[in-house]
Amino acid sequence: MLASPTVAPAEPPLVSVDAVQKTYPGRSGGIQAVASASLTVRKGEFVSLLGPSGCGKSTLLMMVAGLEPVTAGSIALNGTAVTGPRKDIGIIFQDATLLPWKTALENVLFPVRILKLPVEQYRDRAHELLRMVGLAGFETKKPSELSGGMRQRVAICRALVHDPDILLMDEPFSALDAITRDQMNVALSEILETYHKTVIFVTHSIREAAYLSDRVLVMGGRPSTIILDMPMPFPRPRKFDIEETAEFTQICRKLRLSIEEAHADTSAPVRPAGSEVE
Amino acid sequence: MANATIGTETGASLKLPEGTARGLRSVGLPLGLALLVLAAWQIAVTVAKIPPVILPSPLSIAQYIVSRWDILLMHAVPTTLESAIGFVLATVLGVALAILITYSTLARDALYPNLVFFQLIPKIALAPLFIIWLGVGMQSRVAFSVFIAFFPIVIATTAGFMNVDRNMLRLCRSLTATEWQVFTAIRFPSALPYIFSGMKIAMTLAIIGVIIGEFITAQAGLGYLIIFATARADTEVSMAAIVVLCFAGLLLYGLVAFGEWLANRIYSAEAF
Repeated sequence: MLASPTVAPAEPPLVSVDAVQKTYPGRSGGIQAVASASLTVRKGEFVSLLGPSGCGKSTLLMMVAGLEPVTAGSIALNGTAVTGPRKDIGIIFQDATLLPWKTALENVLFPVRILKLPVEQYRDRAHELLRMVGLAGFETKKPSELSGGMRQRVAICRALVHDPDILLMDEPFSALDAITRDQMNVALSEILETYHKTVIFVTHSIREAAYLSDRVLVMGGRPSTIILDMPMPFPRPRKFDIEETAEFTQICRKLRLSIEEAHADTSAPVRPAGSEVE
Repeated sequence: MANATIGTETGASLKLPEGTARGLRSVGLPLGLALLVLAAWQIAVTVAKIPPVILPSPLSIAQYIVSRWDILLMHAVPTTLESAIGFVLATVLGVALAILITYSTLARDALYPNLVFFQLIPKIALAPLFIIWLGVGMQSRVAFSVFIAFFPIVIATTAGFMNVDRNMLRLCRSLTATEWQVFTAIRFPSALPYIFSGMKIAMTLAIIGVIIGEFITAQAGLGYLIIFATARADTEVSMAAIVVLCFAGLLLYGLVAFGEWLANRIYSAEAF
């Protein structure tokens, strides 16, 4: 209580999204993907955007990445406005999107080469990252020789190699089977124990969001907004057995109810296929 | 005939390691079938007493090739050389045009439909016009060879350049990669399989182009030799020329396959 006034106010949020809207041009006034979204993420915080497919969460993430222009509103990262792509973020997609003709190590070093950073200095870091995700010994393997989970681990290393402040993850584990997915969740939280990053994580898995996040933002409604902002009270480092606690179950139920509520009054999804991003 | 069947059976009946057995099968089976057909041909010609003007026997063709290889080689050189030149020009032109189509929407909208339409024209019908335009020399044959060979390269290469993973492009964009970096690191290497499959088709078309040119007007070349020998009812010579042509085609195709292997090695190496 004594310390709180001196600690709390100082630090501005690392990510701030202010009244952002996104409308895709189309017949009859266009398709509104995001009606109005505002959120802030503090440095080092892990925030999930949770919602059903087509709720505009990926669109919002791409706008934060500067890969998609906003229709209205503003986004700032690290104190500067987002006007286009920037080097202080690392992106992870649903598919690993590795270069099939390159080894795991070379795929990790890809951003280093594109950003024209000194490759030799980053080689050790790339090795260390691969070891960290349990891929020591797989450095010279091609993506075709790796499993889906391994490929996604390589993609995580690639996103971290140039040491960005912010990680943007777009449903990174949704293409994996349930067992691998659980393993990846544990692996990711271990990685973040070591490399403290600010993360925005898009998912449609309630359990995944609850397990990984400091805060879960539920997106929904049509057109969509952020309908719930809920802190996850579990201490870190988290063990996977928190998922068996009553508290965890209760939080998941609350999240599920808020999603269902948002969609109760809006009938079937009407967005055209493939329009979620771009 | 007997030899051929035994050759394939030994691979299966003897208990060889599985890899070796499969290797024998994949090489021995097609080779065995080819030898079988040749043997059947030889026997049919001998038994039915077919005159050599109609169908010379494989052995007599082989004998001619062995005894007159100098003449065949003399004719094979210009044909192979002109095909190779036509092929290389077609590749350079085709890839350049594909780059233009990929990067300029104006070029894409204006050119691409016309290219697809042009594909439908039976281009061989235009061969005589090339003689009118460019004369009876090597340049008209090479030009015609380029003309028929470059379409598959443009179409395949364009498809390759366009068919790049969208998220890969996004990743590059988020790393503020330059268009040149995206081209050298992503677009070109991921288009390589397309480019090479286009090149393999183009290679055979380039040879066809030169042969057609030689049919119409030439003083040398395998196409000329075929026409010349056929006019004199010298079927054996024209068959021998066709065999040599097959080997020339195989050589050029082999060079393209080697190029593909080399390109894959270069691109899987460390730096790009």
